[in-house]
Amino acid sequence: MLLNDRSPAVVGAAAAAFASVCPYNLSLVGRNYRKLCEILPDVEEWGQIVLIGILLRYVIARHGLVKESIMYSLQCTESSHSAKDGSDVDSGLVKESTDLSGTCDSEFVNTVSRCYMEGPDEYLSRSSYANRESFELNGAQFTSGKSNDDVKILLYSTSPLLWSNNSAVVLAAAGVHWVMAPKEDVKRIIKPILYLLRSSNASKYVVLRNIQVFAKAMPSLFAPYFEDFFIFSSESYQIKALKLEILSYIATDSSISSIFKEFQDYIRDPDRRFAADTVAAIGLCVQRLPKMAHICVDGLLALTRQEFVTEDFGFEDQEAGILTQVIMSIKSIIKQDPPSHEKVIIQLVRRLDSVKVPAARAMIIWMVGEYSSLGEIIPRMLTTVLKYLAWGFPSEAPETKLQILNTVCKVLEGATGDDLWTFKKIFSYLIELAECDLNYDLRDRARLLKKLPSCNLVSLGLEEETNDLPENDLLHIVAECILGRQTRKVKPESFSYRYYLPGSLSQIVLHAAPGYEPLPKPCSLLLDDLNVAEGTSEMKRAADYSGTDDYGSSSDPSDEESASDYGSQRSVTESSGSDRGDDSEFTSEGNYNADPLIQISDIGNASENQNGVSQSSPANLGELMSNKALESWLDEQPGSSNPGLPKQSQVRISSARISVGDVGKRVKQKSYSLLDPASGNGLKVDYSFSSEISSISRLLVCIEVFFKNCSSEIISEITLVDEESNRAFDSADKTAVVNESSLTSSDDVPTLVPMESIVSLEPGQTTRRILQVRFHHHLLPLKLALYCDGKKLPIKLRPDIGYFVKPLPMDVEVFIDKESRLPGMFEYARSCTFTDHIVELNKENGDSLLVKDKFLAICESLALKMLSNANLCLVSVDMPIATNLDDASGLRLRFSSEILSSWIPCLITIGVEGKCTDPLNLSIKVNCEETVFGLNLLNRIANFLVEPALS
Amino acid sequence: MLEKQLTGHRVDRSICDWFWDHVISQGDSFKSQPVIASPTHYLFQVVREGITFLACTQVEMPPLMGIEFLCRVSDVLSDYLGGLNEDVIKDNFVIVYELLDEMIDNGFPLTTEANILREMIAPPNIVSKVLSVVTGNSSNVSDTLPGATGSCIPWRAAEPKYANNEVYVDLVEEMDAVINRDGALVKCEVYGEVRVNSHLSGLPDLTLSFANPSILDDVRFHPCVRFRPWESHQVLSFVPPDGEFKLMSYRIKKLKSTPLYVKPQLTSDAGKCRVNVLVGIRNDPGKTIDSITLEFQLPPCILSADLNSNHGTVNILGNKICSWTIGRIPKDKTPSLSGTLLLETELERLHVFPTFRVGFRIMGLALSGLQIDKLDLKTAPSRLYKGFRALTRAGEFEVRS
Repeated sequence: MLLNDRSPAVVGAAAAAFASVCPYNLSLVGRNYRKLCEILPDVEEWGQIVLIGILLRYVIARHGLVKESIMYSLQCTESSHSAKDGSDVDSGLVKESTDLSGTCDSEFVNTVSRCYMEGPDEYLSRSSYANRESFELNGAQFTSGKSNDDVKILLYSTSPLLWSNNSAVVLAAAGVHWVMAPKEDVKRIIKPILYLLRSSNASKYVVLRNIQVFAKAMPSLFAPYFEDFFIFSSESYQIKALKLEILSYIATDSSISSIFKEFQDYIRDPDRRFAADTVAAIGLCVQRLPKMAHICVDGLLALTRQEFVTEDFGFEDQEAGILTQVIMSIKSIIKQDPPSHEKVIIQLVRRLDSVKVPAARAMIIWMVGEYSSLGEIIPRMLTTVLKYLAWGFPSEAPETKLQILNTVCKVLEGATGDDLWTFKKIFSYLIELAECDLNYDLRDRARLLKKLPSCNLVSLGLEEETNDLPENDLLHIVAECILGRQTRKVKPESFSYRYYLPGSLSQIVLHAAPGYEPLPKPCSLLLDDLNVAEGTSEMKRAADYSGTDDYGSSSDPSDEESASDYGSQRSVTESSGSDRGDDSEFTSEGNYNADPLIQISDIGNASENQNGVSQSSPANLGELMSNKALESWLDEQPGSSNPGLPKQSQVRISSARISVGDVGKRVKQKSYSLLDPASGNGLKVDYSFSSEISSISRLLVCIEVFFKNCSSEIISEITLVDEESNRAFDSADKTAVVNESSLTSSDDVPTLVPMESIVSLEPGQTTRRILQVRFHHHLLPLKLALYCDGKKLPIKLRPDIGYFVKPLPMDVEVFIDKESRLPGMFEYARSCTFTDHIVELNKENGDSLLVKDKFLAICESLALKMLSNANLCLVSVDMPIATNLDDASGLRLRFSSEILSSWIPCLITIGVEGKCTDPLNLSIKVNCEETVFGLNLLNRIANFLVEPALS
Repeated sequence: MLEKQLTGHRVDRSICDWFWDHVISQGDSFKSQPVIASPTHYLFQVVREGITFLACTQVEMPPLMGIEFLCRVSDVLSDYLGGLNEDVIKDNFVIVYELLDEMIDNGFPLTTEANILREMIAPPNIVSKVLSVVTGNSSNVSDTLPGATGSCIPWRAAEPKYANNEVYVDLVEEMDAVINRDGALVKCEVYGEVRVNSHLSGLPDLTLSFANPSILDDVRFHPCVRFRPWESHQVLSFVPPDGEFKLMSYRIKKLKSTPLYVKPQLTSDAGKCRVNVLVGIRNDPGKTIDSITLEFQLPPCILSADLNSNHGTVNILGNKICSWTIGRIPKDKTPSLSGTLLLETELERLHVFPTFRVGFRIMGLALSGLQIDKLDLKTAPSRLYKGFRALTRAGEFEVRS
């Protein structure tokens, strides 16, 4: 990649290209991370924006969140926020890790999960400690300092960008600090962000939207700068509204008085919508700062006084809106502390006469009902008020009428003594009126309410005579529920906001725009992490199998039976009929396994049904079992005997089972000769590439080496060493020296991890050793020296590119997605012929009892061939719909892997053309970013596919 | 309408129709929305002097990037064409397209630096127009890539040569102030820009220092400014682009006073409103204050207005904006505006009050008090002419009534 170019100009363009081509391949950044950070201030401004985003993602993926940052503290307080800061992701991780530790008891997983629990930062230090274990660096402190360095350098290099001329750069840099910086350092972004407000109107809006979120999260940050949010009359309504909202968030006791003064000015603004918003903002402010309640309420009351002057004349909608808003604000203020605002309620009630807006009237009336028993004066006023309301009832708006009814009801509810009679009269009068109203709702309400208090009244009025009937009680409760503090449930501010990364488009439009990506999972990009994940998933799989073992063994006999049945009877209908039962079982098992390799495509099923090839699978299996490692298949039989998905399941097994032991049994591992007995004084050395992955370094490839003594004498002191390093230390104690030299060599990964030497080898005895070798080139052989009996024998180890990759499990969607990201120059294709399956098919033809599914055989032999020659992971097998039985065209196998050394994914697709019984034309396609590697891998695959089967 | 397709993926022109439909149906509130989510695209909108710049995207991207780019486009265009209006753009279609071509490539901003663009595309002038008419060769794109694209300082052309080496530094300040109804100064700050016009040969390395850098509250720099010297000594060290550019912008907050006072008085009674506005000099800055204007929007409930002044001219524009042009403040009298507003018949009293926007200009003075200490050239050529100027004008200067 050009990302490691020295010129800032190139880096900027490369960053843009990176973001559009492979935004997920963060590992590419890793190598150049530091340099990128250093170069960042010099990159041209548009590139900076993109580059900052990439670096941030990388750091998160590599190191996780910073413990001291706001994001971390927000996790505790604002757990409801979903997408924004990955807090949920993190907790998810913790959960996941506990799950893992539950299912498999491995030391590794335990440490990792413990690290997760301890929080990202400790986790970070500990895992990187583990990471560096092989380099024998000691002490967690050092590594924690070191790993924090990455974060530090990013923050350090982005901080001057806060002075950039380009507002987008400033906001991007601020976003980094917002997410990553320690809490006390976040301050520094505030002023630059606020300064952005001085740029164009359009960007002002965008910046304010971001500040809105920041301010909500940490009002204290912006509190000293409240003056910046004072409003100019020339600003657009959206900006004004945003500023108001922010002001109401950040108001503090010290600033509220000046803010409140401003608000008073705003209320007189000609834009009445804005004025109404201001009133609402006052309400919000007071809710945050109850101390100001009295002043604010007084101000608001004064406002009501002013407003109705105009109310009598110009009856504008917007004025009405303001008045309603005023009353609403007052209401919300009163709600906080009703007793202290008794007088306010009384004043409002007095105003009823002059308040004409129905909504406002309704609200005042509601307050009367709600606080009817409050204090001393209000209860005494009630009769008059209610009489007044009843008198004016017919001329009220429906909204107000409803509220009057409710209120009277409530009053009745709490009323005692003398007033009761009056209330009752008023109530029945109102009900009568309401029942004849034009409005449906009103009539409904009247009927409902009529019932409620009547019972109440009965029980109250007639005292003991009706010894409280149960329904009465019930009704009473109902009344309580309906008339009670219903508005309490309404939250003052909805928290349904959705949060996205600062500075993103999605944050502005408040939905995830296409292509929006939240921050990557913290620590998802750890060297060690990756290896461990690999290990755990394997282990988990193993555990799953052992879990399903019971099931498998219990159903085995029956399956065996049915298999033979089908074999003899060849009854298509029966087999499919009885296998139905297995079907569901299998799917459940499949779900349980949750193996990413299972990909039941509709295409496969459809073709299955059409071709009617389902009958043969059990028998086919039986045969397979006899041919190959029987017991390894037994476990899986329920799955593979399922007619609905024989291919997938079977293939799945072969791939899921691809660990050393199984491959040894099923798959002919290619073995190469390293030393023949003639030249080796009777010592024969063979080697084969193993699919194991080196635990020491990703640059190492594991090789299984077999030493066999073909002579009649004991051979002792056998070791394999790297010839080049050995040459330098040609001393007596070779092994020891080599040990040292390979460790102390400038390159931190040795060419050959020293093998433990074989002390002695009896005649005819075979010993196996695992070698971990680092090939300098994936085609050139490696020169090694073999020492035995004190003699040195030069040997050459030839690499196999098929084992420079490791399986990368993924499902088909991911595969196709990745494939589509690697078009053009990253895609290489070749075709070749394939004949292996003919042998297999012929064998079956001889077996006259059953017609083996040819497709199956082809797929299987292809997959086996692939898997035994390269360290891959089978993703899916696609079948064409509606083909004739003989035509294998359209078969498609997908394999995925990633390059060991660089984690670059490498995708292989094999398409089949031709008739089943003839040699097939295969088209092999490799998608890989590493062009040279991909091409070589392609050639290698083509070569081994052409080779005839060894058997 | 001008359109430039930037990526291989074609954006349908119907998005513009959609946009205009909504502008017509929703009016100005739609026009002031910078980010719009349409059914198919996300639109970024920047309106400059009646011209709407739209950018659209279908995928996630930093919205500020789009907006900032549109702003740059409009800046460059107005720089090139000497103004921005429909006619000018129509006249220079070719240049506008050429500029867009250079400024953005495959949807990613490319060269937005005006100085570099100038090298690639010659700005229109009469000579080139005549030439193109005569020769029929309408292209004014230079064939060679600008030298800067190869150099390590992307904003500077390779090796310009000048007979006289000159550097001009202008301080251009805008004063934002809010005076509330009680006449108290709520907010007063200065937004300033340091504009440099450099004509220096070779690769000059300039250092600019201020006498009082501590008064700066916020700063933003041109990419050419090195950050580290500023961090450590508050010194601007930079290799300037050729020609005129904005070196830095700054903000100075919490100033104590304004040069002018504006005292509006509105009393409304019995369906009328009496207006009386006084304007005068509060603190004499030592230089003349000229181009004083006063503008306010009459509230919507006003039927008619009868306003007179004892100095300058008063105009009431179509959209109920009243503007009073004062010019300079005469020595002998205080300019005042007075008159009555007639309210709508039902209204007895005015309850919304206009905000007065004040405009002024002071030549030769930076109101913030920021002073340039010295400008040094590291590799001093034989003759270097340095010039300093300052200018203050009103930004968002508002007086509420």
